[in-house]
Amino acid sequence: MSRDELNIKDNTSLFKEERYVQQRENKKQFEAPCSEQETAEALAYSKSAEYMEKNFSRQNVVINPHKACQPLGSVMAALGFEKTLPFVHGSQGCNAYFRSHLSRHFKEPTPSVSTSMTEDAAVFGGMNNLIDGLENSVALYKPEMVAICTTCMAEVIGDDLNSFIGNARIKGVISEEYPVAYCNTPSFVGSHITGYDAMIKGILSYLYTRSGIESKPGSGEESGEKLNVMLGFEPYTGNFAELRKILGAFDTKYTILGDHSGNYDSPATGEYEYYYGGTKLADVPQAANALATLSLQKYTLKKTQEYISGTWNQKLAALSTPLGIKGTDTLLATISELTGLPVPAMLTEERGRVVDALMDSHPYLHGKRVALVGDPDLLIGLIGFCLETGMEPVHIICSNGDVDFNEVKFKDEAEALLAASPYGTEATVHVGKDLWHMRSLLLNDKVDLAIGSSHLKFAAKDAEVPLVRVGFPIFDRHHMHRYPIIGYQGTLNLLSLIVNTILQQLDDHNSGFNFELVR
Amino acid sequence: MDPLRQDEFDSQACGSIAPKAKPCPRPKPGEAAGGCSFDGAQITLLPIMDAAHLVHGPIACAGNSWESRGTLSSGPSLSQYGFATDLTDSDIIFGGEKKLKDSIDYIAGRFAPPAIFVYSTCVTALIGEDMDAVCKEAADRLGIPVIPVNSPGFVGSKNLGNRLAGDALLQYVIGTGEPEPETDLGVNLIGEYNIAGEMWDIEKLMNSAGIAVTSRITGDARYKEITWAHRARVNMVVCSRALLGLAKEMESRYGIPYFEGSFYGAKETTYSLRQMAYLMNDREMERRVDRLTEREEARLSQELRPYRKLLRGKRAVLYTGGVKSWSVISALKELGVQVVGVGTNKSTEDDVRRIADRVGDDTEYIPEGGASRIIKTVRERKADIMIAGGRNMYVAMKEQIPFIDINQERHKAYAGYEGLLRLAKELTYSLANPIWKLAASPAPWDKEAPPYDR
Repeated sequence: MSRDELNIKDNTSLFKEERYVQQRENKKQFEAPCSEQETAEALAYSKSAEYMEKNFSRQNVVINPHKACQPLGSVMAALGFEKTLPFVHGSQGCNAYFRSHLSRHFKEPTPSVSTSMTEDAAVFGGMNNLIDGLENSVALYKPEMVAICTTCMAEVIGDDLNSFIGNARIKGVISEEYPVAYCNTPSFVGSHITGYDAMIKGILSYLYTRSGIESKPGSGEESGEKLNVMLGFEPYTGNFAELRKILGAFDTKYTILGDHSGNYDSPATGEYEYYYGGTKLADVPQAANALATLSLQKYTLKKTQEYISGTWNQKLAALSTPLGIKGTDTLLATISELTGLPVPAMLTEERGRVVDALMDSHPYLHGKRVALVGDPDLLIGLIGFCLETGMEPVHIICSNGDVDFNEVKFKDEAEALLAASPYGTEATVHVGKDLWHMRSLLLNDKVDLAIGSSHLKFAAKDAEVPLVRVGFPIFDRHHMHRYPIIGYQGTLNLLSLIVNTILQQLDDHNSGFNFELVR
Repeated sequence: MDPLRQDEFDSQACGSIAPKAKPCPRPKPGEAAGGCSFDGAQITLLPIMDAAHLVHGPIACAGNSWESRGTLSSGPSLSQYGFATDLTDSDIIFGGEKKLKDSIDYIAGRFAPPAIFVYSTCVTALIGEDMDAVCKEAADRLGIPVIPVNSPGFVGSKNLGNRLAGDALLQYVIGTGEPEPETDLGVNLIGEYNIAGEMWDIEKLMNSAGIAVTSRITGDARYKEITWAHRARVNMVVCSRALLGLAKEMESRYGIPYFEGSFYGAKETTYSLRQMAYLMNDREMERRVDRLTEREEARLSQELRPYRKLLRGKRAVLYTGGVKSWSVISALKELGVQVVGVGTNKSTEDDVRRIADRVGDDTEYIPEGGASRIIKTVRERKADIMIAGGRNMYVAMKEQIPFIDINQERHKAYAGYEGLLRLAKELTYSLANPIWKLAASPAPWDKEAPPYDR
């Protein structure tokens, strides 16, 4: 059969055909629409400075949110541990959303179950659902550990996970030894990063406490001294690989606490398993004896970090996502300091190559005005990267930026970072704002480039600004998460992505004398 | 299809206003279940494109879901905005009614929608927000309909949410407006959501037969056209039993006859068009429909010939919501594809009966979800292809099974005669892609590798 015959039109091309266009025109008679002039006026007003002011005085409604909720983060955290089944205690829709959301980003299946609470649970509490759910899911999916998080519903009715799990054991649904970690994650507090933190802390503290081990910080374990590493709410599986490469080059032993890269980057072998990779459960209590813990998302992992430095009494180095040359330098210096090992020559060489690449591209980056949207730790990394390339961050929105670590607020750190560079003087950091605010900003104070998740594409399109997709979620591009954005290699990836977007813009918008071959 | 006795019908219909015996199947704890009632209600109403849809609750329900439906608009896009009251812990304690009122006011003031739908969530239902009162007060003050949709997630499944959304339309929307005098009255399409633009294909077809669409409930709808839905002459429930209650109630209230039909497959499409003309009681229209369907079927069967050759004897496992399970089977059968396994997780008893009418005895029913269960059926029944939704797509990829997305995220329109041709092409494409051969051959250095041939 010829290829022409097989040409199937999807909705992007099919409905541009004349007959459908005509049909849509005809339909307008049903709409009782405003005149074209009225529509144009309203649109123009929505783009005006006057409207921006009204938009920013908006208090009680969120328009186009840029954060997900706590239990979504908890599901991701649970998938970071070996053969662990995420178990969402609430009504069933929450879990369906989490599975779709994560699967759309990673293009991988997300094993996660729900207690499917209904009205009777709302009245009498969700204990029966939790007990039945444990029994069913353990039988069906055969996990080695279950990690339970709550939802709004369970929190509002005040379900007590600890006693419910205890009752499940008494009833014999699960054995006394069967590990069930849990955490409380109401969606009306915090965001996906808070929930990630809660579950990681929940799992670490649960597995440590039940092991009966007394930590001897810095003593190392029998097999030698190890470094603990945490990446946080990490939408890039490539970042795990990059970090492994770096730690491998140092030749240090390490344990990644919360490694969901296996689950979200598994090979197509012809047989689907529910669980891939993840931190070994037995490694968790041992991690209490490690040399130190390195955290790569200090705002995200606040409670976990407090737990580690408090209960495990362990040395802790907390950074934000290590992007750019300086960010990676800090990462390497920190690893070197914590382990006492020198920075390997291989990485120094790599650094030189990436610096070379940054020099090659700098004429296209210098002075480019940029808008940024993302989670707090990612934004600290991105701001740093922009500043060192001569790009000027202008609008920065962090919906879930109401966070602090060691009594330093995210906003203050971001502003200090910007103030320290001549390229950061124009920037404003907006915490708690949404993407409809960003739309006003993009329309009223033009930038050259927007950097953020797929959700930003609507505002970016309205403002005719090219969007570089970085962060979470990325639904409309494939495989971005497979490439690291941390470390020197990640810096190079980010650089290529940004500079080539700018060059593509040049080609798209120029013809004739400046449609050049060499750039 | 066998006629059902009325009492039997009432007791089985998931969509009946007061289900007597068996309501929608209850979810089972500990499974990877589908969406909740909130989700169901929202997806039913979101395709009303010019309305604002405000979620009253914490950020999650809106934050995790906005702008992720593949329901297309031919004009307005307000429904694609994610509006949420974003309740925080202090709102949970002190109540969020003030916040809701302010949100409604802001949306009305800034976006001037013809109507605002306000959705309750688990949290607002549990803390006892009086949403109806706030909506009523706002509607009176602002002079636009502000419609409470009381469908918190915990009341049950997605199907139930569809039904509750139908109840909201009956209570607040249908019958509140009148069409222009010259409007050509015809059929309401109930339960068609214009996923991938399928509605536009259906409408084109109906127009060629001279049948007007009165209200789209709700694919690519405008709020106003639903207010006059009670003036239609016929209701068609497009393979969505959840909204059957809406059609039944409109029959008893307004005397509009209804039927259930589908546009998947040529036979079903022809049946649906004929049924419309028949129920309109218009002989001339019936003749027109006959001419059109004969012509279209003849043309289609010509165009399908090469694909039928390629698809004959191929075996498929179908795993989708209850609503599409039986209708897609017809389409596949016409292409010569044998359905060897079918999901019945969200199907009502009557759906299952219809499935049974369409498949042979050799078909396996998959009553519960879970990837492994579906995969097992594919393997045991030696299926060639899996037809399901996004959440199962990546499992199929892991298992190297050719796959077609039939749910909300698909980008291809499969309804009507042209849609069937597109489905045939897509099946052929999916089965023929060289990646399956590549995936099935181990690396050459592994022993006993069959040669990989591009």
